[in-house]
Amino acid sequence: MAEVILKNVKKIYQGNVTAVHDFNLDIADKEFVVFVGPSGCGKSTTLRMIAGLEDISEGTITIDGQVVNDLQPKDRHISMVFQNYALYPHLTVFENIAFPLRLMRPRMSNDDIYKRVTDVAEILGITPYLTRKPKALSGGQRQRVAIGRAMVKNCKVFLMDEPLSNLDAKLRNQMRAEIILLHKKIQTTFVYVTHDQTEAMTLGDRIVIMKDGLIMQVGTPSEVFDKPKNLFVAEFIGAPKMNTFPAKLTLKDGKYYVTAFGATLPVEGEKAKLLKAKVQVPPEGKDIILGVRPEHMELAEKPHPGAIHVSIEVSEMMGSEVHLHVLTADKTPLIVRVATMPLSEEQRAKLNAGNDVDVEFEGKVMQFFDPKTQLSLLYAD
Amino acid sequence: MQVEDEKEKQPESVVEEAETTSAPTPAPIAVEKHSRLEYSDLEYLKLSKWQRFLYHIARFFLGIPAWFKNAGIAIWHFLKKCGLGVWHEIKDIGLTFVHGDWKTKISYGVMGFGSLARGQILRGILFLSFEVIFIVYMVFWGGYWLSMLPSLGKLGPAEEYNEELDTYITVYHDNSFKILLYGILTLFFIVAFIYTWRLNIKQNKISEEILATGKKLKSGKQDLRSLVDDEFHKTLLALPVTGILVFTVMPILFMILVAFTNYSGATNNGYTNNLFSWVGWNNFNTLLNWKSGNTAYSAAFGEILGWTLMWAFFATFSNYFLGMLVAIMINKKGIHFKKVWRTILVLTIAIPQFISLLYVSRMFADNGIIIARLQQWHWVGDNFSFFGDKANPWVSRLMVILINIWIGIPYLMLIATGILMNIPEDLYESARIDGANVWQQYTKITLPYMLFVTGPYLLTSFIGNMNNFNVIYLLTGGGPTNGAVSAASGSVGYTDLLITWLYKITMGANSEYYMASVIGILVFVVSAVLSMIVYNFMPSNKHEEDYQ
Amino acid sequence: MEETKVTPTESVETTPVTNDMAFTPAPFKDKKHMGLKRKRVIGNVIIYIILVVMSIIWLFPFVCIVLQSFRCESTQPVGYIIPQKWGFDNYVNLFTKTNFPKWLTNTLIISVVTALVQTVIVLCMSYTLSRLRFKGRKFLMNFMLVLGMFPGMLTMIILYRVLADLGMTQANSIPGLILVYVASSGMGYYISKGFFDTLPKSLDEAARVDGATNAQVLTKVILPLSKPIVIYTLLTAFMGPWGDFVFARYVSFGTSSGMNVAVGLQDFLSTAGNTFKNYTMFCAGGVVVAVPITILFMLLQKYYVEGVTGGAVKG
Repeated sequence: MAEVILKNVKKIYQGNVTAVHDFNLDIADKEFVVFVGPSGCGKSTTLRMIAGLEDISEGTITIDGQVVNDLQPKDRHISMVFQNYALYPHLTVFENIAFPLRLMRPRMSNDDIYKRVTDVAEILGITPYLTRKPKALSGGQRQRVAIGRAMVKNCKVFLMDEPLSNLDAKLRNQMRAEIILLHKKIQTTFVYVTHDQTEAMTLGDRIVIMKDGLIMQVGTPSEVFDKPKNLFVAEFIGAPKMNTFPAKLTLKDGKYYVTAFGATLPVEGEKAKLLKAKVQVPPEGKDIILGVRPEHMELAEKPHPGAIHVSIEVSEMMGSEVHLHVLTADKTPLIVRVATMPLSEEQRAKLNAGNDVDVEFEGKVMQFFDPKTQLSLLYAD
Repeated sequence: MQVEDEKEKQPESVVEEAETTSAPTPAPIAVEKHSRLEYSDLEYLKLSKWQRFLYHIARFFLGIPAWFKNAGIAIWHFLKKCGLGVWHEIKDIGLTFVHGDWKTKISYGVMGFGSLARGQILRGILFLSFEVIFIVYMVFWGGYWLSMLPSLGKLGPAEEYNEELDTYITVYHDNSFKILLYGILTLFFIVAFIYTWRLNIKQNKISEEILATGKKLKSGKQDLRSLVDDEFHKTLLALPVTGILVFTVMPILFMILVAFTNYSGATNNGYTNNLFSWVGWNNFNTLLNWKSGNTAYSAAFGEILGWTLMWAFFATFSNYFLGMLVAIMINKKGIHFKKVWRTILVLTIAIPQFISLLYVSRMFADNGIIIARLQQWHWVGDNFSFFGDKANPWVSRLMVILINIWIGIPYLMLIATGILMNIPEDLYESARIDGANVWQQYTKITLPYMLFVTGPYLLTSFIGNMNNFNVIYLLTGGGPTNGAVSAASGSVGYTDLLITWLYKITMGANSEYYMASVIGILVFVVSAVLSMIVYNFMPSNKHEEDYQ
Repeated sequence: MEETKVTPTESVETTPVTNDMAFTPAPFKDKKHMGLKRKRVIGNVIIYIILVVMSIIWLFPFVCIVLQSFRCESTQPVGYIIPQKWGFDNYVNLFTKTNFPKWLTNTLIISVVTALVQTVIVLCMSYTLSRLRFKGRKFLMNFMLVLGMFPGMLTMIILYRVLADLGMTQANSIPGLILVYVASSGMGYYISKGFFDTLPKSLDEAARVDGATNAQVLTKVILPLSKPIVIYTLLTAFMGPWGDFVFARYVSFGTSSGMNVAVGLQDFLSTAGNTFKNYTMFCAGGVVVAVPITILFMLLQKYYVEGVTGGAVKG
């Protein structure tokens, strides 16, 4: 139905600046896809190419089976919500939402328009504001009007360009839930752009992580969280950032070990099996970059060869957990998340700046990356 | 072989060394010995204020030869691009003919044939009718005008015997003005035709390509619809651009050409001179050449140019800074009735300049109110005059600048007020906390911000003042008369600008239009050069924004 | 202006030490407070004085003109301001004995038509250059920039000839002048363009996604938001012809019925003899011309200021 297929899409600006390199993606009908990445990675540009607001330098974009490269935005049956809402300041909320309907040919009758607009307003809870002008609304209300305007016509693809960036944190959380509900309700393909990985993880059926115009990985939230294909994705997804540091992978007597900061930890279980299948370890060991998420690091009861000795620089109290910013012996910074509930008073007292602790982690949370290519040793294809 | 290679490698490394050693030098003055001067950011920060100032001056002067070189290179690249562009077009025309189908080939002769044959009726008819109109015009009128262009006509007005009326009547034969005018129009027309013909060819090529891929060509209706959508800019620009082409470009082109003729309004045997001819660079020589016999013009030109630049400078900057000052005063916290003060000043803008200026000029006239009062109070003598012929030229010049301040401040005040309101208040608060006094706040926050925002405006204002006809003409008429310099061009005054001089020449007895054209062209050259200099040095100024 | 420094120790030493010292801060603070405040008050007073003087200087000529227009005892320029005999003679003479009414109607027609047509043309040009992107846009802007550096006076002669050939001069100068004023008005797009540049482009994009053609974007979205700049352009276009005394003179070429007010009034003072006769009538004429324009300007001042400060700055 309303699939979106991007094939070899490139965007080259004047002066030979390539914003998007060879973008390939198949978006299924009714899927919620999120483009996420740091500023300047090309996600907004790609979205705008789908919308028709930017010319496509190379490649094709197909919506619902029709190649839309040469079509004007209005002929592509898309709706878009802009970052700064782009509400028409001189029109009331009602007229803002009715705007696309009034432009439709053959003309819709006034009654039909009224019904549609009021229905949408009802869904979004903005009926009391219908006669107001945008400048008399709060940020969240304006956001809803913008969504309403996009909802009111039957579109095949719903595009959203960082719609929540201008809202305060609390409102953002609330709107996130509402967008999910909206998606369920109107059953349309959604393409959503954001720089916030939390939004991406919570909203998307699939996430497309981009950097410098290239796709770093495409996958479901759990896929990109557990099985990052490269170092960038691993560090981008998850907050606080994954700890990454150089280590050595060795194979002794058929068992795998990683050595870092003077500690040697065993690798067993699923990961060991994958290592066996995919990674060649020379006898002197393999230099790798090891990745462990802060939440997967645990405090060891007492020092032992398989635990890294660190000193606490900063201890951030987050409520039900503590984020410890620690330094290893050679001054490498790491972050460790420790849940405070299961700890006794004296254990909690130890978690202050200036103290030393030992951290360890299991094999199943380890991520292995090649230091030169930055690709995952296990999951890159 | 090895030795030679090494020798070849050496020059590179030598150059590299030279570049690295030229960078850090102890004193800016010693820098002149090096051809390139570049401080790293940290080194720059170490310099004292005075050293930084000298550094900038040194860079400015050192940069001039490089600037000329860059300009030359830019011009060369531009010409090369043009040449290549033209060559590319010609090649394309040839190729299209060779590869095109029969419809395309016929379109080379019959414009629009290709479009008609492929079903685009609207375009085909437009192309075809244009070609027909063009051919008809050229045959009946265009040819004549073009042929007369080199000579600009030979037969002047004369008395001829008319048999019917049995008397001598004046017969105006060739009219050089008309020849020049319609000749230029014909040339324009020819250029337009060539462009349309080329468009026609291109259309054919594109149509063939589209059809080859199996798509359909745009119908007439689609064409019309695109005029309000993707081609909307063409619809919107059609009228304004045509107006500009006909009423500005063409006259300017005409007047540039007149500068190379001897066209004047002089009468010849009682008839207005209908005949003039090409004189090449003569007029420019007369105006610019000090060594030629007729130095009157060049002397006048030199003096007037000097005053024009001086006037433009003082007029622009006095208004700018004083306007800013007034805006700051009115904007200050604690001043009430802000609107009243602003309105009073803005009133001056509302009243047409010719009324205010004419009246003010009468006020300052020899028999006017001001002098009467001043003489009453014995502040000036009986022979004192502001703008009359007895006046001291510098008094007149000063008065003109002062009165221009009266005219100009309200406008500048408005602009300054708008900009001032945009400067964030917390900049000033933070400066006050840091201990800056009022003057420092002005020079370090207000002034840089204003200059940055109104930089381009200052330039256009300067050029505008260079051509500020109203103020000078209405106030002084250009006087007092500069007897030493008044040449064949009529009375030239001490407050004359180039443009008022131009006007006088045009309206004078002999209406030497050709001299007026030359002056006009020179005004343009001066403005263009100034603009280029300022624009080219502005980015570097922005980059090293403050040595303040 | 330096901040006055008040050293705390001085004031404490001068007052005897008592239990009331607990409240010492008051007098000591007041002194510093008053020092600052006094400085500011003095500063403000100076500014007020300057502003009052400036207002007098700025308004002085206009007050004079108005007063002179009511002077009846003589018609030549004199050395005093207040009329000895007051009356409306000058105004009556202006309207009955000269061609002033004709000039007035001429100029009125010219300025109204010019205002309407010029606004359309300028807005077309500035909107296109601001919002629409097309090949040759930069070239067009640079070209017009260069064209603007030629003094406008240069083209006077040939334009006159063209108009003469078309029969639009002398008595018939109105259409001629209108044509010349509006034809090249597209070149004055800077301020309007500056204004359009401040409207966010996302409005255009939202409208186009909603289904509008470029033309509809202009009419339905941009124009409703452009009231200030439209009024500004109308106002400046209207005011222009009232002050043109160079080209209008050329075009009317001696035919009194074809002149506009500027040329006609200027003729009043063209020679010494004329000045003698017509000086007060000139003042009357000046008042008649200036008053309506000034009133119009004052009413629309808000838009003018917005146009100048908004568009001129960005342009």
